[in-house]
Amino acid sequence: MASTTAVDVVMPQMGVSVSEGTITKWNKQVGDSIEADETLLEISTDKVDTEVPSPASGVISEILVQEGETVNVGTVLARIGGEAGASAPAPPAEPVPEPATQPAADAANAAASEGQTVSSDAQPLSPPTESASGNGKSFVSPVVARIASEHGIDPTQVPGTGTGGRVTKKDIQAFIDAGAPIKASEPAPAPVAPADTPAPAHTAPVTPPAAPTSQEPQAPGQAPGQAPGVGEQFEPMSAMRRGIADHMRRSLDTSAHVTSAIEVDMSKVVQIREKLKKEYTAAYGVNPTYLAFIARATAETLRDYPWINGELRGDKIVTRNYVNLGFAVELADGKGLIVPVVKNAETLNLLGMAKGIADVAKKARDKQLTPDDVVGGTFTITNPGGYGTFHGTPVISQPQAGILGTYAIVKRPWVITDDNGADAIAIRSMMNLTLTYDHRLVDGALAGRFLRDLRERLQTWGEADY
Amino acid sequence: MEVIHLGVVEYREALELQRALAVDVASGARPDTVLFLEHPPTITLGRRTEEGEVHVPDGAAVDVVEVDRGGKSTYHAPGQLVCYPIFDLTRHGQDVKKYCRDLEEALIRTLAAFEIDATRIEGLTGVWLASPPRKIASIGIHLTKWVSTHGYALNVDLDPAPFTEWITACGLDGYAFTSMARELGRPVPVDEVRPVAAQALADVFGVALEARELATA
Repeated sequence: MASTTAVDVVMPQMGVSVSEGTITKWNKQVGDSIEADETLLEISTDKVDTEVPSPASGVISEILVQEGETVNVGTVLARIGGEAGASAPAPPAEPVPEPATQPAADAANAAASEGQTVSSDAQPLSPPTESASGNGKSFVSPVVARIASEHGIDPTQVPGTGTGGRVTKKDIQAFIDAGAPIKASEPAPAPVAPADTPAPAHTAPVTPPAAPTSQEPQAPGQAPGQAPGVGEQFEPMSAMRRGIADHMRRSLDTSAHVTSAIEVDMSKVVQIREKLKKEYTAAYGVNPTYLAFIARATAETLRDYPWINGELRGDKIVTRNYVNLGFAVELADGKGLIVPVVKNAETLNLLGMAKGIADVAKKARDKQLTPDDVVGGTFTITNPGGYGTFHGTPVISQPQAGILGTYAIVKRPWVITDDNGADAIAIRSMMNLTLTYDHRLVDGALAGRFLRDLRERLQTWGEADY
Repeated sequence: MEVIHLGVVEYREALELQRALAVDVASGARPDTVLFLEHPPTITLGRRTEEGEVHVPDGAAVDVVEVDRGGKSTYHAPGQLVCYPIFDLTRHGQDVKKYCRDLEEALIRTLAAFEIDATRIEGLTGVWLASPPRKIASIGIHLTKWVSTHGYALNVDLDPAPFTEWITACGLDGYAFTSMARELGRPVPVDEVRPVAAQALADVFGVALEARELATA
């Protein structure tokens, strides 16, 4: 029975704790006919893909949410039948409608319409240029809004053929294909982008994407799937990003983070490195980086500070007779980081350390790390100094007790005592080091002594320390 | 719940069997049914597989199949216990997230029986060992009118290298995969794990076991 009024297909309720779903596949397109109960689309929630049957027989008149988009339960996904007239709300397209879940679905519907209200409230925020032609098209679907913002189009200028004159994706596409006044029209909703951006206004917002609204560790990045605001863009969160978010949050919830910093005169290391660089590169194909020097000195120093190389495990303090050094490695494009581990770092000399670090860093970037390469770290070094930063407060890699931050080496005037006991100002290569430690296990005085000893090793680096 | 033990079954063949059984479970013609099996080396690509996830070296003896389950790409091979619960979820809470959590719970209990301390990571469905996170079991589900197909794959004793070398499994770039054998430092036969896994599933879903061994696949 083909309906004369349109029937809405809505995102079904897939469980009491499920608030949204992602469209993975439309089995039908606009203009196709469909029988009631025939699979219309597939949605994905968590790692579950679900077929959604059509709630009615008829011709698909509108598809409002595209593949890959995530929307709240109750959101209208498509319309079946109808002649641009009023649409009749249909029972939610639940695979097996159960009376018990009906109230929940209704509540979700209500919530969804509230979400739409928010969208229309937000409308006046977009530049009101030439919006006199607006004919009550208050609601713009997320996909249309995105296309509009990508092309610098005010959606209210687009003739709508959808229900109630709503602008569909087809409408806006046709508008663009027809050589819409893209450049002629004001580069409307890009308040923060450079004013004279050429046509494909693909410029990322100057401000970073909004942080997840929820501060709760269990829901990173699961902000409600509403449309981005004017000038904003959404991009999906990768699994790795979620993993990092989760780990960072959990670490801060676990350890009592405290950071101490110390200034190190690296002049001697700089001098020795210059000498060794050619030799190591020619003979072994490995560059003795500053990080290798610092790692070598750190492994030595950690042997004297078993708690900083240790771990709180329940009510026990774990100490070890070995040092497994983790190195925070950034993956290409700033898309994430991983902490491969150099095992038994206490047994490595400078050359071995340089090789070990180069090896794991390469494996990390080439995605060749095995499970063994990332397990069992006892202490971590992070090296953000390459960008010139001189201080930071990194987050401990759980369940370790500390993380060393290394920063830019810069030439600075430094007061030294010369051989005659007189003070003098000298130009020295200085570097700051930070130790961020878990104050549950490591006290400030211990951290201070560790940093002092580490500094001493680096400042007095001699031939025997290779 | 009826448990069927199938041994090593080619992926597509197992998929057809699941679909046939799902029709019967949906109509009430058969009770909730669980298939335990292993697959020959196979890479399966879920609906959410992204470009660049698959990078199989030339000449690798592995089958690549696109499937209708949730999740991204994964790898199957002998030594991995594959479990396909064909359940009518209207009898088990009718909640996709609860179903995923329940499967994870069954896996965690199975691993606990071998003194492996496994956990969940919020937002990363599957079962993990902690610090650093390494994945030991993957989950991917398909629902038709609330009847489930596909299920979980538990790495019992297989080389986890293909998870990272051949594919970016589950789209998890840079994450490690592991197996029970690797964690326990000894060979672990799948036969040793299967009965424990079946019992754990029965316990979590609150159903009685009705084992049936099929000699032929």
